[in-house]
Amino acid sequence: MSTREENNRLELLQGTLDLLILRTLIFGPEHGQGIARAIEQTSDDELLVEHGALYPALQRLESRGWISAEWGTSKNHRKARFYRLTKAGRKQLAKEAVKWRRLAAAIGRILGAEAGEG
Amino acid sequence: MLSRKRKPSDFKAEVEAHLALETERLKEQGLSDDDARLAARRAFGNVTRAEERFYESGRWVGWDHLVQDVRFGLRMLAKSPGFTAVAVLTLALGIGANTAIFSALDAVLLKPLPFKDPGRLVFIEKKNPPRGWVRNPISPAEILGWRSESGAFEDLAAYTQTSCVLTGRGDPEEDPCEKVSGNLFPLLGVSPLRGRTFSADEDRAEGPRAAILSYGLWRRRFDADTSVIGRAMELNGASTTIVGVMPPNFSHLYATPYGTVPELWVSGIGLSPALTWNDYFGVGRLKPGITLQQAEARMNPISARIEQVHPDLKGWRADVMSLRTMLSGDTRPALVVLMGAVIFVLLIACANMANLLLARGTGRAGEFAVRGALGASRQRIVRQLLTENLVLSLGGGALGVLLASWGCKAMAALAPEYVLNSAPGLADSATDLRVLAFSLIAALATTLLFGLAPAIESSRLHLTETLKETGRVQSPGSRRFPSALVVAEIALALVLLAGAGLMVRTLTKLGQVNLGLNPANVLTLRVPLSGERYKEARTSAEFWRRVVASVEALPGVISASVARGLPTGDDWEGQFFTTADQPNPPAGQVPDANYIVAGPDYFRTLGIPLLSGRSFNEHDTETSERVVIVNEQLARTYWPGQNPLGKQLRMGSPSENRPWLSVVGVAGNVLSQGPGAGFHSEVYVPYRQFPWVLSPENLVVRTAANVKPVSIAHAVADAVHRADQNQPVVDLKTMEQAAREPMAQQRMMMALLGAFAGLALILSVLGIYSVLSYSVSQRTREIGVRVALGAERRDVLGLVVRQGFRLTVFGVAIGLLGAFGLTRFLSSLLYDVKPTDALTFVAVSILLTGVALLACYIPARRASQVDPIVALRCE
Repeated sequence: MSTREENNRLELLQGTLDLLILRTLIFGPEHGQGIARAIEQTSDDELLVEHGALYPALQRLESRGWISAEWGTSKNHRKARFYRLTKAGRKQLAKEAVKWRRLAAAIGRILGAEAGEG
Repeated sequence: MLSRKRKPSDFKAEVEAHLALETERLKEQGLSDDDARLAARRAFGNVTRAEERFYESGRWVGWDHLVQDVRFGLRMLAKSPGFTAVAVLTLALGIGANTAIFSALDAVLLKPLPFKDPGRLVFIEKKNPPRGWVRNPISPAEILGWRSESGAFEDLAAYTQTSCVLTGRGDPEEDPCEKVSGNLFPLLGVSPLRGRTFSADEDRAEGPRAAILSYGLWRRRFDADTSVIGRAMELNGASTTIVGVMPPNFSHLYATPYGTVPELWVSGIGLSPALTWNDYFGVGRLKPGITLQQAEARMNPISARIEQVHPDLKGWRADVMSLRTMLSGDTRPALVVLMGAVIFVLLIACANMANLLLARGTGRAGEFAVRGALGASRQRIVRQLLTENLVLSLGGGALGVLLASWGCKAMAALAPEYVLNSAPGLADSATDLRVLAFSLIAALATTLLFGLAPAIESSRLHLTETLKETGRVQSPGSRRFPSALVVAEIALALVLLAGAGLMVRTLTKLGQVNLGLNPANVLTLRVPLSGERYKEARTSAEFWRRVVASVEALPGVISASVARGLPTGDDWEGQFFTTADQPNPPAGQVPDANYIVAGPDYFRTLGIPLLSGRSFNEHDTETSERVVIVNEQLARTYWPGQNPLGKQLRMGSPSENRPWLSVVGVAGNVLSQGPGAGFHSEVYVPYRQFPWVLSPENLVVRTAANVKPVSIAHAVADAVHRADQNQPVVDLKTMEQAAREPMAQQRMMMALLGAFAGLALILSVLGIYSVLSYSVSQRTREIGVRVALGAERRDVLGLVVRQGFRLTVFGVAIGLLGAFGLTRFLSSLLYDVKPTDALTFVAVSILLTGVALLACYIPARRASQVDPIVALRCE
């Protein structure tokens, strides 16, 4: 993985990381590194997750009660902290997803219109 | 929540786990061990930063910072003990003064009265608007009418002040006491500590005689013996049953400007609708929802009906006030003024502190710059400075509470008796929880007041400049703030000085007032004669004749006389009279005068001039012509332009048909109600003509100019006891002491306001001194250049003094404006001085300016001695 490759990837928008974490956890408990990998892979390596920013975000979600955490063992027998979506987190995810889709659609319409005019 | 308790070490472990997992994944992709580890690190970004973010998101970081800041603050303060001492002391004085005054204010005005539902309790007097009379006692006829017919009261009780002499067991003693209606105690919702209160039967004038003891009297005279309940004691020469003991402090209900705190309560009030004797006070409990105005409105028609039956009561209407208002009385305006004054002192202290901190902040600019460069946010620095200040003001607050408890004791020693009466426990009230809460709030407010601006100012980071050179270059803006603070301090101090100055003027005026008598070298005392045999007027007169004769025989005594009613006291015996020229004035317009019973030599002994006619003498007895002496005021009012000698008048209402008295003398006017009350009509009647119900009880003795009146006090008391050893001698004092008593409140106000103004003066002058000193030290180089360019020492001196003078004049001008607006709150305490007295205002302005200029002179002199070579070389 070269630096150039990384530079081509998209930086996450403010506030979207929380949503992506919640979305990733819907498939079951996962540890931090796994979440980062999952986001990158699911986005076809388009999105760059700064791993350093991931953990404070996890901490934030945990303190809000949207996810819960537990130390466990990873597939390759390493110790890792596993996160699980809570009921409140599921609700929050639904809410955020709707919001995000509306925002994305709206922005898309504006950009589309501009492109048409231009 | 579990997450809140998560430790940083756990977070760290998670990060390490992540790095391990990532490294493993990268190795699977074919990277070498080292490359994989490096790439994982790179992808993670700044590990320390992530840990910091975790740390900062935790709840306990705030607490951590606080502990850190407090520790750091204490270290910084310990490093500059001089600064710390000055700061803590300044704050302690400010907070202490506030705490002391607040505890008095709380005790007198705020703390709820210790009665059941005290908001509905009222005190009832009456006023006579057509004649301009206010705050008069009421009569049984009115009390009974209002109670049964107004519908405003749940209940209404009455009491009258009387004198109780206890004899039999132990020394004879007179105690202030009250004859009360039995319903007073249940009305207030207070039960006796022991025994019971009065029964309906005991309320009758001829009912069984019963007495209730105060806690104090019970402890003192009866050794807190429970078996005294139900026993008889000798009270005013008659056997009286002790039926109960009231709880401690209950007596303070009566702590009014009218009298002393009662030691016992006696039964037999005997209220009757036929009685019009104005000698009672009412205490009522309003029905729920009835206001003071509504109560008065309902009582007025009843008064109007009563005055049809009793012409003596013509024109009188109820005057209802809350019990709280009555109890706090004249103390309220004084306390409000004092509270304002101490808040000013605290503000001045805060301004001084702010200046001190600003100067210190400049000195610490390097420290802040370094901390800023190391990543401390501005908010963090402000917080840390505020914490440091909080430590200071809490320290000051703690010391202040200590000072306040001393201050309360000092106030208790200074306060007039009735102020103390309405604030029981003032002396130890500084330890009260409410007061402590107040001090804490004061400390916190103080921190914000003096600390916030300097903290923000100091944290304004000019990183590079400050680190390059140590803040030598000062923007003019940062110099303006301290100057504004100094101007504010001077203005506040001027207001306080003006207040104190007005009180000084008032007391000077009061001291210069000619009372109409000569109080020097006069001893006074009272013997409240009690016992069956003194009910006979002749026996009482004989007793006094013997006492006066033996006192006059004492060495050093010039003259002695008896009287009932002494000038400058509370003795006001208002009585109706009519003159022979107008024997039947319409009801409501019957003249009244202060009725004084006097013996021969009364006028000579007190030094009251006799303007015409003669004084009383030994021949004015039962069998001789009935005579009266009037004062100038009465003579001028009722016989204007005529010779009053030989005129006739008689006491009481016209309907009473009392004997006519011939005017044989006219005495000079005496300010008998104190300097503020003006002159009133007064009549003097000779004691041996047994004029009326009142028998004499005051003895006045004039000593030779070289004999101190107190030095003969024992001999005089002995003379009384030789005449009858069972009679107590009370209120032994000199006339000068008695004349000073009405000024006690003004005296206290002068002492306290003077102390606060003095404090304000010192603090504000320190303020201007420190600001100028600081400014001079900052301008050393500039002054050096000026001197090098040929400025004279005089010019430099003038430069600095002018700067200080400008600040002072600004402050004085603003302060004068403030004083013009604020001193009117003092007006009820002033005597013969306008609240905007020009002399006072000019005097305090000159005083303040003078002292401030002195304070400017010291730094100015230092500036003028700057050696240009040294000043320029130190660059």
